[in-house]
Amino acid sequence: MREVAVRLDEAHRREFKRFLAGSAGLHGLAFLVLALAPVVPSMSPPAAIPVRLVAAPAVPRPPAAPARPKPPKPPKPVPKVLPAEPVLPKPAAAPVPETPPPPVAQDYEDVLDSLRSELGETAPEAPPPSPVETAAVGVAQGVTVSPEVAAWLKNARIHVRRSWVVPPAFEMQTLVAEIRVKLGASGEVQGTPVVVSRSGNPWYDENVVRSIEKASPLPAPPEAGEWTFLFYSDRDS
Amino acid sequence: MRARAAGAWLVLLVLLGAGAGAQERPAVVVTPGSVQTFRAAVQTFRDTSAVPKPGRAEEFRGWVEASLAFSDVLEPLAHAAFLGPETTVSLADDDVVCSDWSQIGADALVQGELRVDTEFAVEVRVWDTTRCVPLVRKRYRQPASADPRIIARRIADDVVEGFIGTPGVAATEITFVSNRKGNPEIYVMGADGSDVRQATANGSINVFPSWSPDGASIVYTSYRHQDRPLLYLSTRGRGRPGRLLRSLGGDFAEYRGVFAPDGKSLAVVMSAQDHASEIYRVSPEGRNLRPLSRSRAIDVAPAWSPDGKRLAFVSDRSGAPQIYLMDADGANQRRLTFQGVYNTHPAWSPDGKWIAYETRIGGQFDIWLTDPEGTFQVPLVQNPRSDESPTWAPNSRKIAFSSVRRGQADIYVIDVNGENLRRITRSAGDDTSPSWGPFSR
Repeated sequence: MREVAVRLDEAHRREFKRFLAGSAGLHGLAFLVLALAPVVPSMSPPAAIPVRLVAAPAVPRPPAAPARPKPPKPPKPVPKVLPAEPVLPKPAAAPVPETPPPPVAQDYEDVLDSLRSELGETAPEAPPPSPVETAAVGVAQGVTVSPEVAAWLKNARIHVRRSWVVPPAFEMQTLVAEIRVKLGASGEVQGTPVVVSRSGNPWYDENVVRSIEKASPLPAPPEAGEWTFLFYSDRDS
Repeated sequence: MRARAAGAWLVLLVLLGAGAGAQERPAVVVTPGSVQTFRAAVQTFRDTSAVPKPGRAEEFRGWVEASLAFSDVLEPLAHAAFLGPETTVSLADDDVVCSDWSQIGADALVQGELRVDTEFAVEVRVWDTTRCVPLVRKRYRQPASADPRIIARRIADDVVEGFIGTPGVAATEITFVSNRKGNPEIYVMGADGSDVRQATANGSINVFPSWSPDGASIVYTSYRHQDRPLLYLSTRGRGRPGRLLRSLGGDFAEYRGVFAPDGKSLAVVMSAQDHASEIYRVSPEGRNLRPLSRSRAIDVAPAWSPDGKRLAFVSDRSGAPQIYLMDADGANQRRLTFQGVYNTHPAWSPDGKWIAYETRIGGQFDIWLTDPEGTFQVPLVQNPRSDESPTWAPNSRKIAFSSVRRGQADIYVIDVNGENLRRITRSAGDDTSPSWGPFSR
């Protein structure tokens, strides 16, 4: 990891450290790659048609030029000759570094949240009724949030994100979808959740609705009725 | 009538009340957890051929599952876990028991029928088991003599598209150079390394293959005419195979050509007699030749930005090879890489966000990523032996490159997050210079 980040200004350095803490360093950086990239427009291929490349007709070689071994000579201006790297002898037991078992993706925040909820603790940085928590969940100032509601908000969040599959393709740009869900007293999703604010990517919106339905039943809400869920594709939101 | 109207008002009031309630309640904010892949239960497709061949449908399912796994978006579930039927009973039958599949953790159920006579025909239906709705319904057919894996890969890519809106890349292709039969010739293979085909067989030296944006042609450099480097086209589309830029005559040595994203021009590395190589822009017919890089130094390795408005290239104008950017008309040339004494072979990601390149560390090359502003430099592939020639999958999620880490050069594929490194060529020769083609259509 020595020269991982070069010429990072202060802001980027801080950002990079956050990645290190959140996941294994490289994964974090890669997530950034994807978080910044747009979604490639979709295409629907027609039925498969087999095709074969046709070799271009070979220009006959002059008879005086027998096949002779010559070094591939991508010309002098090319800074690096193609296969001209010295071929190292193949060691008998060359370690094959391919397909390392992918490290189990540990979501630090998720694990921490679960531990806290098991211990009946609340996140230290977000004491339930404080205005900080209220601001963090995007609630208008002046709305009072009881400790009971705050605890449910957190538990519902942990529960739903476990059933929310987010392929890296969705992290290539920041997507936000807001959906309204009718919950029964015991947390079951009633009817079809409604997307009240679309992300701009219909597959993302579909996926968000899918994840809420998959999460049913949720932890029993403080009150049955309609609840709003905001799904951010950005891990740092 | 009046009672009904009153009822409607009551419903409206209740709805308004509920809406107001939701407004006042704080929202649950959800951010991504660690689950990144959907899980797919793939049934054995029902073989409706007049003479079903034992094992054929099972083999086909294996190909679909392998292609799904290559997507890294859906992973196949073990068949032993199935509660529902392991083989598709019928596609006409609409009462799939979704709970049988959602209970075992399947997000998707892939069902199908296949029939082989003079054609190989497949019909597929993909269910979103959570919402219990069909997500994809599609038919595929090709001559019975063609490789059925082509259809298996298309199916997998379409299932991926049904879930995320962008197809998978199992059915895409990679062209590369191999000397497995002695001299360097151009080859084409599937993105997983399967189905290797030879595109040139002229006994000369053939290098730097690169796809046309429609995936119908490959431009490459060949020394087959008087041992001089000239550009040629190998094609399976309407284009004419053979020498490109014939109208330029014999004034230039043509070292390398790369199609612009719109296919209407090429960036070409050429040099006139006794001059250093420059980057030119020219139409595929050899018209409108314009020099772009204009320096006394050596300028090579052009790589288009996906919008076709900029080019990354390599120049030694600072004394050592470094990566530069310029507009597509040659304006605004500026240096991009400052870290390291030798940086080369830029490859711009199709989403425009990253440029992969080779950087020399010690006596060998590693592959790094930088953003087009040059703010970040991130190592992607590091190995004591050289990793070279990065090229992007059309979904910007994977990179193919060549490496001599096993002694001879092979082509490998890796995810941009550094996971899932796979070797995809296994020939006795050196396989180098990969170029990943566009989405198949």
